[in-house]
This record gives sequence, C-alpha cells and structure tokens, in this order.
Amino acid sequence: MISKRRSTACGDAVHGITRRRMLGSLGGLVGFGSLLHPAIAKEIAEKKKQVCLIWLDGGISQYESWHPLPDSKFAGPFRSIKTSIPGIHFSELMPHTAKIAHKISVIRTMATKDPNHSTGVPRMQRGDPLDRGVDYPYIGSAIAKLLGPADPELPPYVWIKPGNGGFIHREAGFLGAQYGALALGDGRPPVHIHRPDGVSSELDAARNALRQKANERFRAYRNTSEIDAFETSYEMARKLMARKEIFDDDKIEPKDRERYGTHPLGRHVLQARQLLESGVRFVKVNSYHWDTHGDNFNMSQRLVPQADQPFAALVNDLDDRGMLDNVLVVMMSEFGRTPLINSRLGRDHWPDCWSLALAGCGIKRGAIIGETTEDGGFVDGKGYDVGDLFHTIYNVLGIRSKRAKYRHKGQKLAIAHDHCEPIEEVML
Amino acid sequence: MSVSTLEVSKAWPSRELEHERQLFRAQFSPDGRWIAAGGQDKLVHLWELENDGKKALSGHDTWVSSLVFHPKEKKLFTADYLGVIYCWNYEKGDQPQWIIKEADRDNVRALVVSKDGKHLISAGDDAVIKVWKTSDGQQVARMEGHEECIFSLALSPDGKQLVSGDLFGIVRQWSVGKWKQVRELDAKLLHTRKENFIADVGGVRSFAFSSDGSLLAVGGMKEAKSNAFCPGKPTVLVFDWASGKVKTELGIKGKSDGPFNALRFLEDGTLCGHTEILHSASELTFWKIDEPEPIHSIKNGSGYDLSLHPDKRQLLVPTYVTGGSSGNGGRGKTPENYLTNTTVLRIFSLFAKPEEKGDEKK
Repeated sequence: MISKRRSTACGDAVHGITRRRMLGSLGGLVGFGSLLHPAIAKEIAEKKKQVCLIWLDGGISQYESWHPLPDSKFAGPFRSIKTSIPGIHFSELMPHTAKIAHKISVIRTMATKDPNHSTGVPRMQRGDPLDRGVDYPYIGSAIAKLLGPADPELPPYVWIKPGNGGFIHREAGFLGAQYGALALGDGRPPVHIHRPDGVSSELDAARNALRQKANERFRAYRNTSEIDAFETSYEMARKLMARKEIFDDDKIEPKDRERYGTHPLGRHVLQARQLLESGVRFVKVNSYHWDTHGDNFNMSQRLVPQADQPFAALVNDLDDRGMLDNVLVVMMSEFGRTPLINSRLGRDHWPDCWSLALAGCGIKRGAIIGETTEDGGFVDGKGYDVGDLFHTIYNVLGIRSKRAKYRHKGQKLAIAHDHCEPIEEVML
Repeated sequence: MSVSTLEVSKAWPSRELEHERQLFRAQFSPDGRWIAAGGQDKLVHLWELENDGKKALSGHDTWVSSLVFHPKEKKLFTADYLGVIYCWNYEKGDQPQWIIKEADRDNVRALVVSKDGKHLISAGDDAVIKVWKTSDGQQVARMEGHEECIFSLALSPDGKQLVSGDLFGIVRQWSVGKWKQVRELDAKLLHTRKENFIADVGGVRSFAFSSDGSLLAVGGMKEAKSNAFCPGKPTVLVFDWASGKVKTELGIKGKSDGPFNALRFLEDGTLCGHTEILHSASELTFWKIDEPEPIHSIKNGSGYDLSLHPDKRQLLVPTYVTGGSSGNGGRGKTPENYLTNTTVLRIFSLFAKPEEKGDEKK
C-alpha cells in the first residue's frame, strides 16, 4: 500500500534537490546569530538562558489560586492567605508559593479572547502571531529554533507529559520536524537508551553510519520533514545514551521528592529541574485534567496544591543554585475559569480576565500586576493578550521580538504578534 | 385539617422562595414553620413560612456548608468551609449562642444532632468525627478511622447508630454513646480514581435510613469519566441494614451526570433523591426499592439538598437557577450585565394538586 505521504513524492530528482536546498536554506537563514544582536547572542550563549513551562491543561481557576478575592460575590469558599509580599494574598491552596511570592511575578489581567480548548491551547502556545497562512510553532519549538540547544549534546526541547512519549514533531509547525519535542511519557527516558551489552561501540558506530547512508538515499526522493523527524529523534536518542545519568532516579534526594510531591506533576517538575541543570534549553511539563466544570471546589482543593508545591520548589531550587536569573519559569493554562459558579458547582472557561505566573530570567521579583473589577471578573484598565506574553518571554530571553523574523519559503514572518508589546511591568 | 394522601406521581411545586445567590443547604425546622438555608453568600437565611418573614444571620466568614436544626429546642447549628460551627437561637436574636472555631481542619461537610438532642456530631475534611454538647459546644468525643474527607453523616431512626461516608466510598457504622466503630460497609462503587486522574472523584454524598431502620440508602455517583468535568452516573446503593450487604442499586432514567446530593425516605417506603447536571435540567427522582426503575421523576434544576417537612407531605429542594451568563467566556458580557446565578427554594407537595374553585365550576 502506498501511503499518502509517499505519494506526494513524485520521484523527480529536481524536486528532491529543491527540497534539500530548501531545507538547507531554512536551517541556515534563521540561525541563532541572524536573529540576535551579537552581544546578546554571546551573553545568551554564555549564560545559557533556559525555560521551564508548566502547563496546567484545561485551566486553573484564578479564584482558587492567584486571585482569591474572598469578599467578592464570585469567591470560592477557601481562605485567602498572606504572601511574602505585604498586602498581596493568594488562595490558601497555594501555601508554598505564597512564601516565595517575592521571587515571582503574577499577571492578574490576562485577557486572551479564546474560550475553547481546541483553539485556545494552540493559540496560547503559539503566541497568536498574525495569520500569515503558515503553521506557527509552539513556543518550545520556537525557542529551540531561535536559541538552539543550550548544550549541543542534549535536545533543545524536552516535553515531560503524562501518557506516551516519543518524538513529537507536530509542535514545530513550519520550522520543520527537527524542532519538535522529545517527549518523555510519564517522565520515562526514551526507550532503548541503554545500548545492549552485546553491541560494542565500534559496532554501534558502524550501524549508525549504515543507517545514515540509508537515510540519505531514502531522503533523495521523499518528504524530507518526515526523515528529519526520524533522523533528529535518532540523534537525540544517541546523544542521550551518552548522558543517561540525567534519568538516574537514584540521584534524586528523597527530601527533594518530598518537597516537589510524589504526584505526577511533582515528579515531572523535579525531573524538569534535573534537565535544566543538565543543560536542556526548554522543558515543558504538562499536567492534564484542570478543566473543572464540575465539582470545582473539591477538585481545586486537590489539584491546586499539586501545582503549588513543585512550582515553589523549582523556583526556590533554581534560586538557591544561582540559576534563577537565567532560567525563566512560566506556569499557566489556556485560560482561567469563570467567576460564575455553574450548576455542577464548577467553573467554566474564562479567557476574559485570568492569572498566570512568571519567574526568573529578567522577570521582576514580587511584581503582582493588573487591576480587575472589584469581583475579579473583568479587566479594569490594561489587559494582556498572549502576544504580549510572548514578546515578554522572548525579550527576557534576549530575543528582540519586534525585529527578529523567521524566514520561510522566502517570506519574513514575525516571531510574535505584530501589534502586541512586551509587558514592561514584569520585566527588569 | 385532613392529611392529603401521599401520591408522589402527582407531586407538584407548591411554593417557591427566591434568593439572589446560590444556596446549597436548606432544611425545614422541626415544627415546619421555618426554613433555614445557607451557601455562597456566607449568611444563614431564615424564612418564616406563615408570615413570609425573612431574616439573615451573619457570622460565617465563608460559604455555609452544612446546617441542622435541634430536634426539640429552638437551636440551629450551621457550619462552614473554614471549620467553624455556630449555634443560633433562630427565633430570637441574631447573635450566636456559642461558636466552635476549630471544629475541623477545613470544611465541615456534615452535621447531625442525636435523637435526644444532647449531642451535635460533625465531620468533614480532616476525616475525624467529633461529638459536641449542644448546650455549650464542648467536645465530648472524637472518632477516627476514615482516611479521606467525610461527606455525609446520618443517624438510624432509633438514634442508636451513626453512619459516616467518605470520599473513598467507605461507610462506617458507629455506636452512639459509646462512640466506637461497629462495622464498615462497602460503597466503593461511588468512588472513582482512574489511572490518568489526578484526583479522587465522587464519594458518599448522601444517606437516608428507612423509617423502620431496615434499609440504608447511600447516594453518590459511579463511573466518573474524569476528574475535570467529574461526570458520572448518579447512583444509590440500598443496603440491607441487618446484613450490611447491598440489596439493590438505583439510578435515574434522565441524563443527570452529578451525584445524588440528598436522599429521603417517605412514610410509604418511597425513596426520593436529587442530583445535578451541567447547564441543563436535573431531576427529583422517586423509587420503590423493589423496582429497578424510578417510579416517577420531576424535572428540576440541579438540587443540592432535600428536607422533608414534618407533615411528611412537602419536600424542600434548594434549586440552582441560572442568571443567564453561565457557560464559557464572557461573550460580550460586561460587569454590569454579567449576572450571578441564583437559587429558588422549591417546595414540592407530594400529593395531588387540589382543584381550584374555577376548575370546580368547569
């Protein structure tokens, strides 16, 4: 049977050459240096700016976390507790983060338009650049492209997620499959990371050379992106075989497991810390099932602490290790949750006014920004869209987001929304 | 005054009391003259039914999570999500008679009063059952054994046995007075934790003893599909009290997807229960225990509690009413027209609606 992908390759050598040339130009034109001021590029290279995105899929309730407003008519039943910033309160469900509020920034007036998961997740992770008819990359792939690997011997983008792992190239969009994510399913290292005892290093090298030769031959007449994805994932696996100590659970201190929590998000954020320490440029940690349309208060009581504990532990650990100035930590969802409480005692989707947290790497410490209406339901003054957030992220990483462009098929493409701006209020 | 014949198939909503905020608990007083209700607005609301009087008691600093009347005295006990219990004289005055400030680590989810009226029993998030003197709020006993939060309490009709139900679907029986555990019943069907969940879902959300004490109905939902929407199948497990075994399992015909928040046995042995559903109409359901299907149901908004009037002919349901702004996103709403959801305390009369004079003429 001929697959649909195979059938796109007509077999004409001219097409093959064109594809290879295109790939070559894609890789070369948008290099690290071409997008950044040389001094900044050097600084980034030296300081290895890194990112950890903690993604609470489905939408954490701002009322049960960052913005409790206990006297508002939309408040939940939980206590509002003092934080380390005088006058600022978080929900009692975030006791650990309340203690480190002076190390982070919180934006309480995200206003992001899209109330649906199916479109909200990609919009929030792509940054919503103006539609130019291309499939924009998710932020992990974008950073992998824009900054490259922090350590050439490690994949630039690792995604720790529940469920299955593997090499997930769809997040790379038009950048090409090689900028996809190496996904660690449930935090497990890639399979077959250990070379079988019966295979010597010489034999392994010979095997690898043969594979590369076969790939080149195969590449000549076929869709290169698919081959790139395969080749990239193989290379990643090969590199990781030399760094398999990263996945050595025995190196984790029991007290660290306790501090981060033994639930999946705790384990995965702790693993993210190890990957950041090892030099991975961008680590995304996903937690699913935050879409609390039903039983929001019983669920928030159990879910929010699962984010609070490892988030605070990570920020503290990075700070203690002197890494926080170079590692950006973001914890967010695709939207917040409604002020109104529905018939199932849940909260629905609310992109109109919600909260997220940032820390490290050029982000102010202790900036809690954004004015809302008294009940927290709506922005009162300045709201921020995801484009603003992306400009902020890029800028604190040293990327001049207003000037830097992707080039794709001869087209210059903005890396973030043309009409949005960095959020100066949270930037140093 | 003649007593109307109990006839649930002809039950009808005979009275409605509206409130501008969401209320989750509502009970008739033992003399039937009052309704007490509490919920989101932190107040304890009292309706005097004979003269349409209404007053509110303030004191709670968060949502009111449970309430119960004293069976003999004019006392009302109310509790909240911060673990505080208040004792009020609901007829006179607006100041509490006493307060227990730390009745629970967090939410006091259930309150009952012993049949002799001497003891208030509370349970909630810290999984410990505590016994207090109704006279002054002093603690008498505490009972440990549950490993997760307790949602429900109930006393057997003779007042000698207490049951408690938790998130894991464990039902424990305790002897009143000795305050010791007697046995454990298995209602784990009402708890769900699938491999990909990040929280436990469900639990024992309601109890009802039959009037002769031979049956214990345990309400909740089974087979939750996620810990986000928390949709499941509303389910009642009816235990044969003597054996401690499940006698029958009851469900609904309709489409509700939330737990049975409340159950009551009527004097003819009919069991009734109310559940909830997302953005749609739920139902008040009636069963004969020996029949697998409900004998009757009445469409109603999501309901969170049930109280049987002392005349045994009226059921009170605090019922969810949308303010018209529910659902995802603001959709052009502004702070001015984004309206809160509200409550109607709906009283269902459990007998045929009397013919009105105009109808008789026809």
